[in-house]
Amino acid sequence: MSTLVQGRNAAEATGRFTMASLTAFLLRYNFIVIFFVVAAIATCLSNDFLTWRNICNLFQQSSVVGIVAIGMTFVILTANIDLSVGSMVACSGLIVSLLMQAGIPPAVAIPATFLIGTCIGATLGAISAYAAVPSFIVTLAGLVTIRGVTFLLSNGAPIGGLPHGFGAFGSYQIPLLPGVTFPILGLLFLVVWGAASLVLRYTVFGEYVFATGGNAEAARLSGLPVRLIVTLVFAISGLLSSLSGVLLTARLRIGQPTAAQGLELDAIAAVVLGGTSLFGGRGSVLGTLFAVMLLQVLRNIFNLLGLGSFYQMTITGLIIIAAILLNRVIDSRQGRR
Amino acid sequence: MRENDAVETPVLAVDHAAKIFPGNVVALADATLSIRPGEVHCLLGANGAGKSTLLKIIAGAHLPTKGSLVLDGVPQRFRNPLEAARAGISMIYQELDLVGSLSVAQNMLLGRVPSRWGLVDRKHRAQIAAEALEKVGAGFGLDVPVASLSIANQQLTAIARALTLDAKIIIMDEPSAALNETELERVFAVIRSLTARGIAILYVSHRMGEIRAIGDRVTALRGGRTVDTFPVAGTSDQTLVEAVLGRNQALLERSARAPCGDTVALSAPFLKGPHGLEIRDLSVREGEIIGLSGLNGSGRTSLLRVLFGDLPSTGDILLNGRPYKPKQPADAIARGVGLVPEDRKMHGLVLDQAIYRNAALPSLRRRRFISHDSLRRGSARVLGDLSTRFSAIDQPVRQLSGGNQQKVVFSKWVLNGSRVLLLDEPSRGLDVGAKAELYALIRRLAEQGAAILVASSELDEIYANCDRIWVFHEGRNVRCFDPTVASRDDILTAGLIGHRDASEIAP
Repeated sequence: MSTLVQGRNAAEATGRFTMASLTAFLLRYNFIVIFFVVAAIATCLSNDFLTWRNICNLFQQSSVVGIVAIGMTFVILTANIDLSVGSMVACSGLIVSLLMQAGIPPAVAIPATFLIGTCIGATLGAISAYAAVPSFIVTLAGLVTIRGVTFLLSNGAPIGGLPHGFGAFGSYQIPLLPGVTFPILGLLFLVVWGAASLVLRYTVFGEYVFATGGNAEAARLSGLPVRLIVTLVFAISGLLSSLSGVLLTARLRIGQPTAAQGLELDAIAAVVLGGTSLFGGRGSVLGTLFAVMLLQVLRNIFNLLGLGSFYQMTITGLIIIAAILLNRVIDSRQGRR
Repeated sequence: MRENDAVETPVLAVDHAAKIFPGNVVALADATLSIRPGEVHCLLGANGAGKSTLLKIIAGAHLPTKGSLVLDGVPQRFRNPLEAARAGISMIYQELDLVGSLSVAQNMLLGRVPSRWGLVDRKHRAQIAAEALEKVGAGFGLDVPVASLSIANQQLTAIARALTLDAKIIIMDEPSAALNETELERVFAVIRSLTARGIAILYVSHRMGEIRAIGDRVTALRGGRTVDTFPVAGTSDQTLVEAVLGRNQALLERSARAPCGDTVALSAPFLKGPHGLEIRDLSVREGEIIGLSGLNGSGRTSLLRVLFGDLPSTGDILLNGRPYKPKQPADAIARGVGLVPEDRKMHGLVLDQAIYRNAALPSLRRRRFISHDSLRRGSARVLGDLSTRFSAIDQPVRQLSGGNQQKVVFSKWVLNGSRVLLLDEPSRGLDVGAKAELYALIRRLAEQGAAILVASSELDEIYANCDRIWVFHEGRNVRCFDPTVASRDDILTAGLIGHRDASEIAP
């Protein structure tokens, strides 16, 4: 047996790529292949697609749903779901607007909003984990309740009159080279993605997230604090939703109580499209990153082609179904379920 | 009962069947099997010998690549299980394929509901179900939900369902796995009444005792080929084990054990727990293997779960001389107690996760950050010590054989440095060779100083491997035996009768 192990290591060390290992790699990271195929099509369809300006736009536009989807990836990896994120984004936007309208400086208002978002997420997660209620139900109630609170806070009207600097932040472009800039929202999305990747790969907490989702009972009998882990992933989802809410408010320059309706579905679609299993335990934020960008590129193509949003919804939905079927085929090839 | 054995034509003949999957994976190389009407034909073979492939070919789940299948003199090519069922071949799966929330009658006629004008004909259904249930001597009603029945009664429901299909052959895949000895006796009685009516049974089991009790003939498979078919009477265990393993296997012989030390690792002078659990004077020393024997539900599993902090208890437990009150598994693990659960796939492993990440899981609690390389190195060392066979340490555990999966569960506790191991049916579902290897591993861990409690419903195994055997009866540890002195039958009787005899309790 030890010779078998060594044999394998030796093969790895020489770095030989066989056809089989290449196929396995492409199947596992099929979302990357799909992304580049779609991007190539977009490049052929329009000369405007592969321009720095357009790429910056893609990142700027996808940052809000992207950051939410990163949080959603944690939740789905534990075999749970968080339907409250759209309402959380709107509510956080409103809270931060109200606080700043009341004269509280952004340096206090923003962290306070993050804290509130984290606590709401943790509460929903704790209810699900400790009372053993399916997270689908708990967060569905959260979706309705939090949206209701959002309307109550603002009487249904948008909140304006935010500090000038706050709005400017939302559209700030970071100068990289003379004449070349990158949107700060896009950068924040990438930073959140990078941090999430590191947490999932190199911390014990990340390992526990995978184990809990893969088999919660085996994880519990291995001494893992399973209910605490579930509470924490919802806290992360709450925190990232409130971050998205603040960023969206900064970009729009108003707190909008009707914002981000249905955002939870976009986020879930991106996570699943990125190859994360709804049964938990398998997936990556790398997949989520590519899927978020893929969905944004699709929207971009439709706009460039002048197709309306009805086409966009229909075709996006069909692509998600196709991707899920593809993953299902890969699963059954590998003998899972 | 059958003097004309030799001239009787077989009800089913499988001739040189082979199954080769894409990628040239040979699941079955050359299997020949001939079943006579009214016989119990046993099928014996190690894991991976091709038993399940052969069963699936007979039951219509696989088409054979080569070879033929003749039912009642007519060559058949079943394209799906339904065709096989219609032709008279019924399969009863190990994990019974019944719908727990539906009633007995609903389950028995699932997919073939008698109807009139598109509506369910309840009266007709009840009549068909009642007839079949009567034939299996069921003492339960038609309308109770299947989930409320014991496993034995669920087993009878599955058999009765086969009868409603007018089965000529009923295939039973390890029916004894979840039954205790009394329940198994009931199933055997039903099997005898079926064979008396001319129905043939193809019975798959790993257990020699059962084959002796119920079988007429036995066919051994090894490496995808039929070794031979033997009459059960007049063939020695040795011959059969050799046919399966292809070498001498001294599984059932007691091997010499070094005497263990005097340091008591874990002791429970008095302990009460759920399900009527009441323990007195139970202790295990470092280096000692204690067997827990008894019927299903006698409290073996409950005791292990109490000791692992998974069930609440009152009373005293001492671990290494200090009080021990685990409230959750994490407390037990922190004190060096590890559990190898009964169902390794559901409770022991994260099946789709890499081998080394499973092995490392309990020991991660001491860290906050992970270096995958060091986890791989640490796991590979321990897995190598346990002689686990795998092709890559990043492979999902799902791809390993049962015996090697169980070694991954063991490696979790070895890596964690656990000194008290609670093993719940550790050999369940393993073939004879893997069982022998597993017990050799358990003995070695004890020699290295681990204190081991092993619960098993197979007395032979613990009789051959334990230093002391506690017999459990209705939640209480009734008697303690020294297997070097006591006879196997004494221990068995104690488990069935089970009164606590103070004079017999060992120190």
